Amino acid sequence: MSSSTKPWPVPPKKLAPRDVDPIVLQIVEGTLNSIEAEIEFAIERTARSPMIREAHDYRVGLFDRYCRKLTGRSYSAMPQAVVRDYPPETMKPGDVFLMNDTYLTEGSIGHLPDMCSTVPVFHDGTVVAYIQAFGHHDDIGGRVPGSMPGTAVTVFEEGLAIPPIKLYSEGVRNDEAFKIVKRNTRVPEMLAADLDSEVQACLMGAKRMAELFQRFGADTVEACFQAILDKCRDIYRKELLPRIADGTYYWEDFVEHDGVTDPKLHKLALTMTKKGERITLDFNGTDPQSTGPINWPADYADGAFLIKWIAPILRNLAETPERAAEIHVNEGVCEVFDVVFPPKGTLITPEWPAATNARSFVLLRSLGLLAGVVAQAVKGRMPADQETIRYTGFYGTDANGKSFLSREVLGGGSGGRYYADGNDAIHIVPDSRNQPAEFTENRFPVIVEKLALRTDSGGAGFRRGGLGYEKHYRALVDCHTIVTADRVRLGCYGLNGGKAGQPFRVTVDALGKKPKDLGGLVDGEPMKAGRVVRVITTGGGGWGDPLTREPERVLIDVNQGKVSAKAAREDYGVVLAKRKGLLAVDAKKTAALRKRLAGKRRGKPPMIDRGPGYDKLARRR
Amino acid sequence: MTTIARPASLRIGIDTGGTFTDIVSVDGASGAMRVTKVASTPSNPAIGLVRGVKQVLEQGGASIDQVVGLAHGTTVATNALLQGEIDSLGLIVTEGFRHILEIARQSVPEGYGNSYFWVKPERIVPLDLVREVGGRLNFQGKELRKLEEKSAREAARYFKQRGIRAIGVCLIHSYANDRHERRVAEILKKEYPECTVSLSCDVLPEYREYERAVTTLVDAFVKPHMERYLKRIHDELGPGLREKPFLVMQSSGGVMSAEQIVHKPITTALSGPAAGALGSAVVARIAGFDSVVTLDAGGTSTDLCLIEDGKPHVTNGGSVGPFPVRIPMISIETIGTGGGSIAWVSREGHLRVGPRSAGAEPGPMCYPKGGNEPTITDANLVLGRLPPALIGGGIALNVERSRTGLAALAEKLGRKMSAEALAEGIIEIANWNQANCIRQMTIQRGIDPRDFALLSFGGAGPAQSAAVMDLLSMKACIVPPNPGNLSAFGLLAVDWRTDHITTKVMHEDTVDLKTVASLYAGLERDATETLRRDGIDASHIRLVREADIRYAGQSMEVRVTAPGGTVDKTFFARLADAFHAAHRRTFGYDYKGEQKIELVNLSVSGFGVIDRPTLPRLEMRDGVTPARKAVRPVWFAGAFRDTAVYDRATLPPGWRFEGPVIVEEFGSTSVVFPGQTLEVDPHGILVIRRAGAARLEVVR
Repeated sequence: MSSSTKPWPVPPKKLAPRDVDPIVLQIVEGTLNSIEAEIEFAIERTARSPMIREAHDYRVGLFDRYCRKLTGRSYSAMPQAVVRDYPPETMKPGDVFLMNDTYLTEGSIGHLPDMCSTVPVFHDGTVVAYIQAFGHHDDIGGRVPGSMPGTAVTVFEEGLAIPPIKLYSEGVRNDEAFKIVKRNTRVPEMLAADLDSEVQACLMGAKRMAELFQRFGADTVEACFQAILDKCRDIYRKELLPRIADGTYYWEDFVEHDGVTDPKLHKLALTMTKKGERITLDFNGTDPQSTGPINWPADYADGAFLIKWIAPILRNLAETPERAAEIHVNEGVCEVFDVVFPPKGTLITPEWPAATNARSFVLLRSLGLLAGVVAQAVKGRMPADQETIRYTGFYGTDANGKSFLSREVLGGGSGGRYYADGNDAIHIVPDSRNQPAEFTENRFPVIVEKLALRTDSGGAGFRRGGLGYEKHYRALVDCHTIVTADRVRLGCYGLNGGKAGQPFRVTVDALGKKPKDLGGLVDGEPMKAGRVVRVITTGGGGWGDPLTREPERVLIDVNQGKVSAKAAREDYGVVLAKRKGLLAVDAKKTAALRKRLAGKRRGKPPMIDRGPGYDKLARRR
Repeated sequence: MTTIARPASLRIGIDTGGTFTDIVSVDGASGAMRVTKVASTPSNPAIGLVRGVKQVLEQGGASIDQVVGLAHGTTVATNALLQGEIDSLGLIVTEGFRHILEIARQSVPEGYGNSYFWVKPERIVPLDLVREVGGRLNFQGKELRKLEEKSAREAARYFKQRGIRAIGVCLIHSYANDRHERRVAEILKKEYPECTVSLSCDVLPEYREYERAVTTLVDAFVKPHMERYLKRIHDELGPGLREKPFLVMQSSGGVMSAEQIVHKPITTALSGPAAGALGSAVVARIAGFDSVVTLDAGGTSTDLCLIEDGKPHVTNGGSVGPFPVRIPMISIETIGTGGGSIAWVSREGHLRVGPRSAGAEPGPMCYPKGGNEPTITDANLVLGRLPPALIGGGIALNVERSRTGLAALAEKLGRKMSAEALAEGIIEIANWNQANCIRQMTIQRGIDPRDFALLSFGGAGPAQSAAVMDLLSMKACIVPPNPGNLSAFGLLAVDWRTDHITTKVMHEDTVDLKTVASLYAGLERDATETLRRDGIDASHIRLVREADIRYAGQSMEVRVTAPGGTVDKTFFARLADAFHAAHRRTFGYDYKGEQKIELVNLSVSGFGVIDRPTLPRLEMRDGVTPARKAVRPVWFAGAFRDTAVYDRATLPPGWRFEGPVIVEEFGSTSVVFPGQTLEVDPHGILVIRRAGAARLEVVR
């Protein structure tokens, strides 16, 4: 990262090599991880909104005095904007800062519901570290309940924007500011309680961090911090980067709609240059910012947030998945990457007041974007694509005249890997859970007629993509369907000869005479009592040539209903026949069919298969 | 030897572990306790069990006639599940739900981005052994579509054809109406009489179909294992002993007779650590501490359990290995540091301790035929904290090998560091790991560790626990007598217990008290009948009502104790108050007066109350100074200090000593650090406290 003048302290360029006690280092690292977990537990225990409590949508961060993130199980916000506006020498013990403004937080907050608390840690009267927590709060005002209007074109429709402010001054809350915050949400009590939970948890974490400084002294603790950051940097430099040949690689991927204008390809472009121990990510070529709310303001603080968000993708280059899981990504990774942003006015460099609440489409796509670029550099030795977050649900009035709203995040299949098929029906947020059918039926006037995996939804491949859901809901009253989803037209891409997975689809009256497919951003499609809505979620992309998949595996897939007999023949070239009532592979016919299918191909299959949806949409461009 | 005929009063607890089987006998009349240990016999654990029982009787000069009963803790169910090849298990579900196990709850464990490389483990039943049956109930138990008996018959034949003998049945909303499941069971028995069936309405009549299905399958899987095991014990016990009541420990912290356990063996799934926790609770209370964290450090890992007001925390959200098992179980956290944990250098050049372990084989470097990497035990040995021979002098330890290993590790770290300094650091890292884990456990439950004492047992605990106590500013560190046999002792401190649950979601505004009353009455009848079948006298039966309640709109419930007696408006008001209070205690807030509540599950636990064993008070011997066993140099804070070593058996009650001091006994060594005091309580329990040493202030 370049070290141009920054409105926050930057670490000295040349640090004198410090001798770090290996024992204290281990204790400090273990305790940092524990403090992070303790803050999370405290929030989980005392927060109130379902998004935090049940969907686990909150993140904690521990930072050193230079705003460098020290832990790495997850991404988090960043304290730079707070330090920019309130220099550390002016901070006092007991101060707590609050912010959620997507344009004034140095790229650390992507949409307004993510309200973030920051607490400085003091040692010998100076600020030595920061503790931060943000949660996805249920409502911070704006045009619609939940503060995520899919058709917003400005931030003013999305809710209350708070640049960094000092919410607590030496332990005393600024009640005037707090009144404004509470007045601008539909759920004042819940929001107040959630903020309280986050603030108290951060204060507890700050005390724990201060104890670490007291116990071992600032010099020792900070030398340990540096060693922890260096460790992450060196794993990237010495272990992961050498797997990528020096050179320049390019790829692009697309979001397909912005909620306001007609569906089209919104391009994200990435040129990656790898040279020695550095990688440069250049996003020039990315499409202009959208009218609707899919913009992601990422071009701040030298892209520190973006780097920490997408760099973990490179863990897939580790020699085994077990090793990948061991690699924690902290600020040390920012020394490996440089980011070049396009000029202002693109999807990732939007200009205020462009709306951002559905920036998760772009955020999630950026993971697959980097994976796709890297794949070209490593002969496809990366996972194929996945898309595992979207909202579907129903609202209306039940038989007792009470209004109801049922919203659920249904995951999807993950992409095939060179070592394994993709996972069926998973969700990227750790420990986030789906709704049991028995819960749904107890609570809402629907019957879950089917909770299954969608046959053939996983992209065909040597290692098949994971399957998406097929869920059928029968309405018991007249109500409305809501959908917020990307990848309705473009499937998750297949890699290295693997095919794209099937896209997302919601169909109203799916089993009736006039089934109707819906789009990806739908706010209230009418649904009649007794009819069935079918939700099919994305399958993961396949990995490798499906004609090389072991026929025995295809047989198991067919027996388990994951692949149809037709797809076994057409996509995998596997011929099955009944023997003594059981299906078996016809080896001879399979070999012949595979030869014929391979012969019909024109040249080598592409490294990346975007599926049939892409061609249709590309023609509209 | 002739024995005088005495009334039967001897109760025997047997805890079968991987290496040793521990046996404790307590004379109910005198309180006299006897302990012994025999080698476990993994190929047929019943042999070791019976050998141990006979040995403890012989040592006490007692006859079979004096035995009133046996209580057994076993990991047969868990081991079968964790090690066994699950190859003969089938599942029957409602039409449309065949992928229930594949989908699970869609969650990926741990960090962000892991969904790219995580590989979903194999399901407990492969998809081709999951069969659907037609027919549907709604959440109130009303039939929407009739059971399609034909599909059930087809499923039975399908399993029969493939030789799948253990079958779980989990139909949607069967907790609200068991008729479809019971009919499926009848059809299975008729078509395929050799199969074993577990019904979800029996195993866990509670909503959430995925968890209920897995719990039912685990039950179906362990059933044949448990039947075979208990039959072998019956055979081995022989005439005389086999007629005595034989009780088996359950994960919930209660016992049930072997005859009843075979019908629902899943209740024993995690019973091993439960007995230790219960034994700890009894000892801690005797020592005057109602709230303790128990720390059981073995060779490869350490089990931690919170005991508040004498009661271990019980969870119904536990799991066995990768399988969620939603039955009540004592809540145990396990961390990967134990005596055999290896100190090693990671590929980044950092020092790490555990989770890799040398276990019992090859074991620490100092063991005969020990491994080639230094462990925590090697570190303690080099520091002089362990005696040069283990288990009462039986196994000689090679301290030179340990020192060489540590010196080599220091070199690998590129440090000029003595083997002792590195050893002290390794112990320090392990202590911080344990302290951090205890902190996380307490914070999750809104508890301050400073209000708790630390009770340490297991072979590798007491050598370090007093230091962990200091890191957390806990009240004291307690080492019970016979710390290696606490689980077997715990088995004798346990009431009979049977748990019964049902789901019925009722909103505060529309709750029908008559329904609540009749549901509780039914559960209470079931609990009483179960206990009566074990011969418990009505006067010894205690029934506890509980309810899982949530605020309408939440999806997480809090379990609270419900009032006994008539179910009327007062009952409901008290129940609601109990919920608000429990919610505040658990989460730090409540919505009393603001939000309506919803009853979700009603449950009844029946207890057959026993007379708890107690530790006999030892004779006070004022002014007696015990004889030192030895003085040896022990390393504390960077230097060796000559330190007194005592044999625990010689320590008189009431004795006090300033640390540092080492107390040795069979199978365990306690270390009292400088700045700490040791006191022997009237029952021989060691109580270590800090004596005002400078330490961290612990903040929650």
